[in-house]
Amino acid sequence: MKDLLSPNDYKSPLKPIWCPGCGDYGVLQALYRALSAIGRPPHEIAFISGIGCSSRIPGYTTAYGFNTVHGRALPIAQGVKLANPDLLVIVAGGDGDGFSIGGGHVPHAIRRNVDLTYIVMDNQVYGLTKGQLSPTSPQGLKTVTSPLGSIEQPINPLLTVLASGAGFVAQATPADMPGMTALIEEAIRYPGFSFVNIQSPCITFGEEDQQLKAHKSRMKTLASLGHDPANQLAALDLARAYGTELYTGVFYRNATPPPTYDAQIRQRKAELQRGEPRPRSRVLDGYLRAGGGPTS
Amino acid sequence: MIEDLVVGLAGSGGDGVVSAGESLLAAASAQGFHALMTKSFGSQIRGGESSCRVRLSTRKVLNPGGVLDVAVALNWEDFRRFGAELRIGPETVLIHEAKAGPPPQDLAPAGRMPREVIGVPLAELAKSSAGTDRAKTTVVLGLLSGWFGIPREGLDRGLQKKFAQKGEGLLEANRKALASGIAFAMEHPLASPRTLTLPVGASPKMLCDGNEMCASAAIFSGCEFFGGYPITPSTEVMQILARELPRYGGVVLQAEDEISGVGAAVGASFAGKKSMTATSGPGMSLKTEILGLASLAELPLVLLDVQRGGPSTGIPTKPEQSDLFAAAFSAHGDVLRPVLAPTSVEDTFRVTVEAFNLAEGYQTPVMILSDQEIAQRKETVDPIDVSRFELVERLRPTPEQLAGGYQRFSATSSGISPISHPGMEGGNYLAAGIEHDVNGAPTASGAIHAAMNEKRFQKLAPLQERTDLFERLGPPDAPLALVSWGSSAGVAREAFLQARMRDIPVKLLVPTLLYPVAEQLYRAFFTSVRAGLVLELSHQGQLYRVLRMFVDVPPGVTSFARSGAQPFRADEVVQRLAQQAETLR
Repeated sequence: MKDLLSPNDYKSPLKPIWCPGCGDYGVLQALYRALSAIGRPPHEIAFISGIGCSSRIPGYTTAYGFNTVHGRALPIAQGVKLANPDLLVIVAGGDGDGFSIGGGHVPHAIRRNVDLTYIVMDNQVYGLTKGQLSPTSPQGLKTVTSPLGSIEQPINPLLTVLASGAGFVAQATPADMPGMTALIEEAIRYPGFSFVNIQSPCITFGEEDQQLKAHKSRMKTLASLGHDPANQLAALDLARAYGTELYTGVFYRNATPPPTYDAQIRQRKAELQRGEPRPRSRVLDGYLRAGGGPTS
Repeated sequence: MIEDLVVGLAGSGGDGVVSAGESLLAAASAQGFHALMTKSFGSQIRGGESSCRVRLSTRKVLNPGGVLDVAVALNWEDFRRFGAELRIGPETVLIHEAKAGPPPQDLAPAGRMPREVIGVPLAELAKSSAGTDRAKTTVVLGLLSGWFGIPREGLDRGLQKKFAQKGEGLLEANRKALASGIAFAMEHPLASPRTLTLPVGASPKMLCDGNEMCASAAIFSGCEFFGGYPITPSTEVMQILARELPRYGGVVLQAEDEISGVGAAVGASFAGKKSMTATSGPGMSLKTEILGLASLAELPLVLLDVQRGGPSTGIPTKPEQSDLFAAAFSAHGDVLRPVLAPTSVEDTFRVTVEAFNLAEGYQTPVMILSDQEIAQRKETVDPIDVSRFELVERLRPTPEQLAGGYQRFSATSSGISPISHPGMEGGNYLAAGIEHDVNGAPTASGAIHAAMNEKRFQKLAPLQERTDLFERLGPPDAPLALVSWGSSAGVAREAFLQARMRDIPVKLLVPTLLYPVAEQLYRAFFTSVRAGLVLELSHQGQLYRVLRMFVDVPPGVTSFARSGAQPFRADEVVQRLAQQAETLR
């Protein structure tokens, strides 16, 4: 009989650097639970992150972690998954990592549809560098880098990801732990690129109305609104409320997920090799035909 | 009889100049000549000026050659655009399209104007023989056959290969054009005839360019992942691997940008696969941060930088050797990253295998500094016996180590720690760009940081002993030194041979390993030296300056350097060496 893995099996001995009361603690707990529900052993999981408070999260799990550089978690994670499609690959980071410095990678990870789960802990502020404007900060927010209030509009992560064609898009808050745990689990199980935007409060630099208490009173589940997650247009419409309403649940889930990039790569390789890879020692043979390159 | 012939052709984009060069090269190769072809273009996507030079010889060809033996100008305007690349002299046979008129007075400075100038009605001959003036470069091939003894059979085989798919009619027409060129040459013998000696006992050869050799060596070395972004002049590496690597079980990802390309490659390496990326100057700048990550996380990675004119966009289609500083030093923090440079197409295979071996063996990114000339010139290469190469695999943890207490960054006497990868039970660890302790746990401890820096430098110390990564020729006690690297080394080798023939007391050093600087080896080499040259194609003379950072280079050794797209000629190097030899007397 297979031993069942408990949430504690995913918990590393490292103590988080996060402030007491940080929303990321809740995300970490939910992740332990979701991973134990899925049951893949930690050594088959690659957990990739960028830079920021939330990007420390792989180190707090027993999975193989890679705490990379700012904004580049998605490219690196895709390399991991394509190199070994058997791995379960999870990517995590903050709103700055994903939608500011690394924003250019998001649509491409989505259009490739590599089977990985991208969890963004969105707190509308830069915490690690102590309280600067983030790409999701509300317009007019006064911070140390926007002392008179910000001029620019925030980016809308939900719309961005939906518009790029992601097959699974959800939003959660640690104010609803069972709901968040279930969404993370569902995202990981989705075959293809999945995205969960977690409104994870920054207790030190975040606004009052972004804290857990406020989330509890503001949040509305999409299910309670009667939203059908298979309806992409309705999802886009609801996603427009990012920043004003706190909707939680699955915005969009492709009812017929297309084949993933990694699955297609695997299939093509199998077809090209017809069972056996070519011997690498024969790589130069083709050049011996004067004037010609290697031919098949 | 002559044993070496350098032919240069220039025309406008649609003239088929490069195609003719390829036919000539294929014919030479089939005949058993050693041959080499470089191409040069304007930066237009289509059309514009284009040129090529083909050097064929009964001996090994070391470089594209200096002053042309034969120059072919389809029109003067395009020919002039390649002034430095298609240099002519009094001995050059200058062939031109008759209707373009005689060469302009200022085509070459006084004293460098060819004595033998022949106007040939190329378009007319093509039209009358083949029925179209598009066959004019085939007429040129006929002229070369008739005047210089390049065997007709080889050229004919080349035509068959090229036109077989395009219909019998076209092949026949080109055969007629070839014949008309030969006939013209017979009717108009050269004032000073010269005929190539045919090679004897020639063996079959490969015909390939540097990018093809690099991609092939990557496959041979066991590369399983390539992530990259198209950029001239390295793109062919990704194209070849996109076609070939999946057949060997690997994956190629065309990423959305340079950063993502190297990022994916580092991810694949973390996942346990031999991995590679390729780029050119601007991409090198963009990839820098992730190279630092690979150094700190101790992940193997091979990065090919095919150098071109820089900085910024510079001259994308021309060679330069100006990325050495970037390759060695473009990182924040204390980083030691091996940098290797191939000196020819053939050498690119060996150097790429070496790069994978160093990367895997020392768990580090390794740079290959090729350049546009080596990467894109086609060359005959003697068959490579791949069985003589040993392949290095990264040091994996033992089952005992994985059974308990595995430490990814464990302290070892070599500085090399066994590396696990996702999927390996018991090897779980946190890789990071953050400084870490032996377990991979993040730390801000100065003491641990110092120890880890020491580990990362110490593990590369054995590179100092790798004398096999240096080519040394000439008497060890020679007072004159010639040092060169990359594509310039081909010129240096020829200059060295010529200088030795003239009894100039010179020795040659060509490093494959550019960085870290093998201090002991250079010190020993320079002990007998009182003067000399460091030959390289960059404005600053970057190797010369890097050497001076680490070694007391004798004051008499000077930098012979100039900006890219103006390749050196052996004769000018010999001349400088001769001058330096004078000062030693």
